[in-house]
Parts: sequence; structure tokens; C-alpha cells
Amino acid sequence: MDPCTTHDWSICNVRHGYLVEESCFECGGRLSFFSAEPVPPIEEYREGHHFWAYDASFQTVKFDLKCRACGRIVNLNDVNGLMLSECTDSDCQVGALVRHQGPDSLVYVAVCPNTTHSTGKCVSSEGIDALNQFFMAKLAPLGRKVTVVPCKLCNRIDKCRGTSIADFGLTDIL
Amino acid sequence: MKVSELAQKTGLTAINDYKDREIESVYISDMVSDMVASARPNSVVVTLQTHKSLIASANLVAAAMIVIVNGRKPSEDVVALANRTGIGLFSYDLDAWAFAKKLVKLGIE
Repeated sequence: MDPCTTHDWSICNVRHGYLVEESCFECGGRLSFFSAEPVPPIEEYREGHHFWAYDASFQTVKFDLKCRACGRIVNLNDVNGLMLSECTDSDCQVGALVRHQGPDSLVYVAVCPNTTHSTGKCVSSEGIDALNQFFMAKLAPLGRKVTVVPCKLCNRIDKCRGTSIADFGLTDIL
Repeated sequence: MKVSELAQKTGLTAINDYKDREIESVYISDMVSDMVASARPNSVVVTLQTHKSLIASANLVAAAMIVIVNGRKPSEDVVALANRTGIGLFSYDLDAWAFAKKLVKLGIE
């Protein structure tokens, strides 16, 4: 198929599993990963100078995006979750976006697996673009807007104020 | 069918001020990540959840209304966020299955 300029994104490669969160005893860093195992792993392990220990796990659903028009697939493996930002940090780029958003607009942070960003990696710009286009295709006709940004724009994502789209507490909702 | 008409015909209790949009589909789930992956625009989302993440998810999929079953009520911050999005937030006294049967009787499937 020919590449297109305005993609018509749809969800594909839906995976059900767990988002496992760990923290390091040594540096206080946090990371998360997706596990498709029936029971999420909870073992502690050493990795270089880090000593990672299990913190929590949530049921989650991951997916990729595929363009109906040209067939292009954007892999979203580097997105471990989305968080509706309520950042009030005056020095944070995401906080600035939140302060300047209009009444019909909300800012979401796409959270990558290693929020210390020690490897220099975060959610790809290709993934961010596709997520923005995918959600805006649904919301623009309603006059609403969302802006999805990578978590590397947060001053401190682990301390950031917001609402994570996570399925915690499913066993105690009653 | 509009949100307000569906609410009136199924005996829902409105919790917030909402935009009266046309309903096009239904999605029933108690997992917010599942809603993001599977619910469609202008849908009725039926759930037991009352957490703020419910609104954050429903907003991304452009849901028209959320029906919280078993008579559960969300907190004020959840209602405030729903007001910002224009999504209708409703409470239903019985369970999801009872509400689903009402939807089918109204021809909404």
C-alpha cells in the first residue's frame, strides 16, 4: 500500500497482562515492565549497580496502532501507561502545558518503562505522534483536544501529580 | 438515541452536567486500560469503577456517557473531571447485567 500523509489509526496487537513496577534499593530509581505471564513475577534481582525489588503489579492491556489506509504499524512497546497530568510544577514543561491548556483540552503523559531515563530512551516520537493522531481523530469532531507527551518532559515523573490509567485495586472494589 | 433519552428510559440518576450526545455503541468493562483499547466513540460505558482514571480513560475514547452500576457513587473530584469532559455520569441501582438487558430491550446492542 502507498504511504499516506494523514494516517487512519486503529488499535491492533492487543495484549493482556500485568504492568509490574519495581524500585531500586540503591538509587531509588523506578522501572516498570509488561508481563504476559499468568502470574506477574515478583523476584528481586541485581542488574549492574541496581538492585531491583518488586513494588506492585496491575492488570493492563497493551496495544499497537495500525493505519487502515497504508498498513503502517507503530509499535507501542515503549508505552507502559498513560497518565492524565494535573502537574502544578512551575518548572516543568508538562506543567506549563497543563497551565496553558484550554477548557476543552487535557494533557496526558505517556510513561515509558524506565522513568529514570538513565539510558536516554523514552517513548518514541513516532509513538507519541501516532497516539495524538489516534485520540484526536475521536475527539476533534467533539471540539475536544488531548495532548500526549513523553514522560521525559516531566521534571520528575515519579513525583508528578496526575491520574494514571491503571487497573489497581480490582480485588477490593466491592 | 440521545444520552438524556436513554437515561430517562432506563431510570438512571444523573450525577453531573453533561453534553447530550447521540449514543452509538455500548462497552461493559471494569478495566480502564481495556476501555482505552476497546471502547468506541460515542459509547455508553457500563462499569463498577468510580475512580478518576475511569474519566481519564473514557475521555480518550470519546465516550458519551458512563453508567456506574450497583448504586455506587463517585467522589467530587471525579464528578468535576467528568464535567470538564462533557461526558455524562450516571448511577444505576442494579447490576451491569440488569442494565444490559434494558439496553437490549431498547434496541441498543
